[in-house]
Amino acid sequence: MLKEAGYDAFVIVGGLGAWQKAGHPLEPVPKEDLVLLPTFS
Amino acid sequence: MPALAKYGYEGLFLVLFLEAIGIPIPGALALLIAGAACASGNMRLIIALPVSIAAMLAGDTLLYVVGRKTGWHLLGFLCRISVNPETCILRSAESFYRRGRTTLVVAKFIPGINTMAPPLAGSMNMKLWQFWQLDFVGALLYALAFGGAGFLFSDLLKMIVGGIQAFSSIVAWLIALGVAVYAAYRVWLYQKHRMYRVVPRVSVEELAERLKTDIDKEIVIADVRSHGYYDAQAQRILGSIRLEPNNLQASIKDLSKERQIYLYCT
Repeated sequence: MLKEAGYDAFVIVGGLGAWQKAGHPLEPVPKEDLVLLPTFS
Repeated sequence: MPALAKYGYEGLFLVLFLEAIGIPIPGALALLIAGAACASGNMRLIIALPVSIAAMLAGDTLLYVVGRKTGWHLLGFLCRISVNPETCILRSAESFYRRGRTTLVVAKFIPGINTMAPPLAGSMNMKLWQFWQLDFVGALLYALAFGGAGFLFSDLLKMIVGGIQAFSSIVAWLIALGVAVYAAYRVWLYQKHRMYRVVPRVSVEELAERLKTDIDKEIVIADVRSHGYYDAQAQRILGSIRLEPNNLQASIKDLSKERQIYLYCT
């Protein structure tokens, strides 16, 4: 869809798991982006 | 259900356990046959009933633990077949939160829900003891309903089983047809998504290198996960932005087409 919209898009092989495994830096997801679902406790 | 007839309690346990963990096996039919076997004296009700409940509790507890350990990932996985996975996750969670206790009691009677309810209870941190109590009531009702029906209508069941055996070749053809339709559907999906394989792929090492050397190209790293955002401890690649796949047009409206976008999920 991004390609169709004219963007130069790439896919990162292995995704977040591979990035983390390779020791590259991460950051917490910003609170405003989190969608916290209800829990019983 | 010849295995059930041959192996009795072990077969009953196995069928109900497999059904509880989501394998599409007709557990209700096994209970009907077990009920009929109890009526004819081939099985003992005092053993068959606890075996049935233990099998369902074991399977459900396994899914509960998986839900507990994997958080929202299992629900995300189950919702992948939905038209809108994001909405599926949100609605399922909210609905289960409001009616979860009742759902667990009646879940066994509703195909699909019986597999979804235990992992949802785990994902939503329901206490194990409370889960067991509700699941026990559900399993007891299910066993009594179908086992009781088999017990009361054992003669009628013999006629039905005889009818099924007579039409076994038709059933075999129907199963083969179902498998063929499913295979055709998978081929259609494969063809439909073939165009997406032209999107270039880069390894994390390549990307890290490009981040160091191609600063002028304005690289954007975009997180396209939908179910990675339901845990308070969720993490993402440093400096990445979120692109919501189900709302892509709105997500990219402020994004320059001059920038290279690197997508990742879990």
